[in-house]
Amino acid sequence: MLTDLLQYLVNGLIVGALIALPALGLTLIFSVLGFLNFSIAAQLTAGAYAGWLANTTLHLPLIAVLICSFVVAGAFGVVTDRIALAPIRRKPSAQTPLMVAIASIALNMALENACRFYFGSGLNSFDMPIERDMKIGAIRVGLQQLHNLEIAIGLAVLLALFFSLTRIGKAMRAVADNVDLARLKGIEPVRLANLATFIGMGLAGIGGALLAIDTSVDPSTGSRLILLIFAGSVVGGLTSLPGAVVGALSMGMIGELGLLVLSPVYQSLTAFVAILITLLARPGGIFSGATGVRR
Amino acid sequence: MSNMGRRDFLRTGLGLGGLVLSSSLSRSWAQSGDPIRIGLIIPLTGGTSQFGATMGQAAKIAETEINSAGGVRGRPIQIVIEDDQSNPEAAVRAAHKLIDVDKVVAIGGSYASAVTSAIAPLCWEGKTVLLTSSGADSITKLPHQGYIFRTSPTVTLQGTRVGDFAVELGGKKMFFLGPQTPFAQSYIDIISSIFKAAGGSGSGLIYEDKKASYRSEVDQALKESPDVIVLGGYVPDTSVVLKDLYRAGFSGQKVGFSFGINDALTKAVPAEASNGAYSLVPSASENSDAYKRLVGKMKLSHLDSYSCQVYDHVVLASLALAHAPSGKVDGTAVRDNVRAISQDSEGKRTDDAVEALKLAASGAHVNYDGPSGALEFADNGDVKGVFFRYEQVEEGKLVVRKIG
Repeated sequence: MLTDLLQYLVNGLIVGALIALPALGLTLIFSVLGFLNFSIAAQLTAGAYAGWLANTTLHLPLIAVLICSFVVAGAFGVVTDRIALAPIRRKPSAQTPLMVAIASIALNMALENACRFYFGSGLNSFDMPIERDMKIGAIRVGLQQLHNLEIAIGLAVLLALFFSLTRIGKAMRAVADNVDLARLKGIEPVRLANLATFIGMGLAGIGGALLAIDTSVDPSTGSRLILLIFAGSVVGGLTSLPGAVVGALSMGMIGELGLLVLSPVYQSLTAFVAILITLLARPGGIFSGATGVRR
Repeated sequence: MSNMGRRDFLRTGLGLGGLVLSSSLSRSWAQSGDPIRIGLIIPLTGGTSQFGATMGQAAKIAETEINSAGGVRGRPIQIVIEDDQSNPEAAVRAAHKLIDVDKVVAIGGSYASAVTSAIAPLCWEGKTVLLTSSGADSITKLPHQGYIFRTSPTVTLQGTRVGDFAVELGGKKMFFLGPQTPFAQSYIDIISSIFKAAGGSGSGLIYEDKKASYRSEVDQALKESPDVIVLGGYVPDTSVVLKDLYRAGFSGQKVGFSFGINDALTKAVPAEASNGAYSLVPSASENSDAYKRLVGKMKLSHLDSYSCQVYDHVVLASLALAHAPSGKVDGTAVRDNVRAISQDSEGKRTDDAVEALKLAASGAHVNYDGPSGALEFADNGDVKGVFFRYEQVEEGKLVVRKIG
């Protein structure tokens, strides 16, 4: 039983690591721009395709593949945001964040179908060897998945450093905290909005590529996981970067541990229940009040 | 000419012109009546969309063939394609539109069992024939008043074949892994009972599709230490399960179905993970001229059974209307005449849709066999006499092991 519990925890951490990066992206964009950009699912897919093309046509290794995914998804994210979402944000009203969020769902569908139009509905595989798990005691751990976890944590640490040490990072936190005050201090919110979107969508792109290496690349790669990503971000408080990572990891673990008591068929229930409990018990997320982008 | 007056000349000219005009008009009228619409609900997107595109192309070829042979009762047929998005809700919206707005006489395609189960009541309530390529047994057990025709083998038949084959491979302990579908539990029950009858044992687990990892599910399966794992999923989830089985070091036999283990899957997973996996494939009538003609027109070397079935859906509906003694053009006429053109023992056997159409239109007896098979239906609407191919993944490619 204890072995089962540990094994499921490890499995959950692995799933959590996959959704941690997109959850970070979603949180970052929400913190700086003040709305939920659901088109992040399409950028996951864009990152996955970019990585797959870089890997299968240019035969690049993992790190170069991930950089490609970051840049392509980030750039796509900024361009599509400028075209489809920024015009709505220009005339702010009480409903603007909701309207932009809904527009982003439409944008997500458009982008997903663009991928389908261009690449077809088929599934594609990365040209990377699949490795057998190693055994630590009675627990199985996948090497590839362990790398994913390292990459996710490494990037989260880098981001934290960026926000606390650099001028632009600090400026982003200022905009997140109070747009008007930041503008008075001479910070240009639009430029920062682009940068936040670029980094956020880029992270989603890396997440998409890692996910696709583990599964496969198809037009629905991102949208299959959007609920889990959203849940991770909400549980983490939507404005806290460490919260997003912890939220995503705990969503992964709760889901897998749920298998001990629930039939596997009802697994997505755990995501809904986690959102519900978090919003009821701690509306600001598990990290409310802790340091993140906001403070 | 000299004694032919100017008026006579004009009169003759007008008369001749009118004749020419009317004959050319009547020919174009033959094709210019309101088109007879046949709906298609096929998966162009989503988890079950591997065959969607070729299904649509095959149906279009049937449409062109029927129309170039003069259409049905002087009217062209028109295919109206709707995407079910691999999602029963979207399929229900599509079926409403096809039945209520487009007034189709029949709906073909209908691939995933969840989709077919959802739209079936709309079809028989709307007196529209549903030609389906799904497998769940429950579909033809519905009170469908004869409006459902199934061209694909049932789940029971496929499950039995997979079970028998897995026992043949020397399996003693079977574990079934598959997503929630209308047939998942039936598969577990059928295959387990075959193993028990052979002195072994069987059990299974139904998982949620759309997951990024099935490590915990694989762990649960391996705890039973099975020597055969039956994979009951579609391509996206089966590809992840196969990778996770490989990572976990599973070395037993893997057996799946054509909707999960197919060419799309072999492209989606590294060869190490898919090698050795068997697939049970309902076989099209691959030695028939009908199949060879269709494949040639589609400029392919091989076509899956499901796309052949969708081609036949269009042809069956057209032939039934062409044959209908009542001359009516509606869903009930299709229902009442499908068997008359597909399994008339006195009818002239042909596997050419154009020839069959001409025979049916002239009132002759005809027995049409399509690229998907002989198309003979039992009273409940299930197709009879289906062949299967047993294929195995070898170096990342599917190889035929036996046909039966």
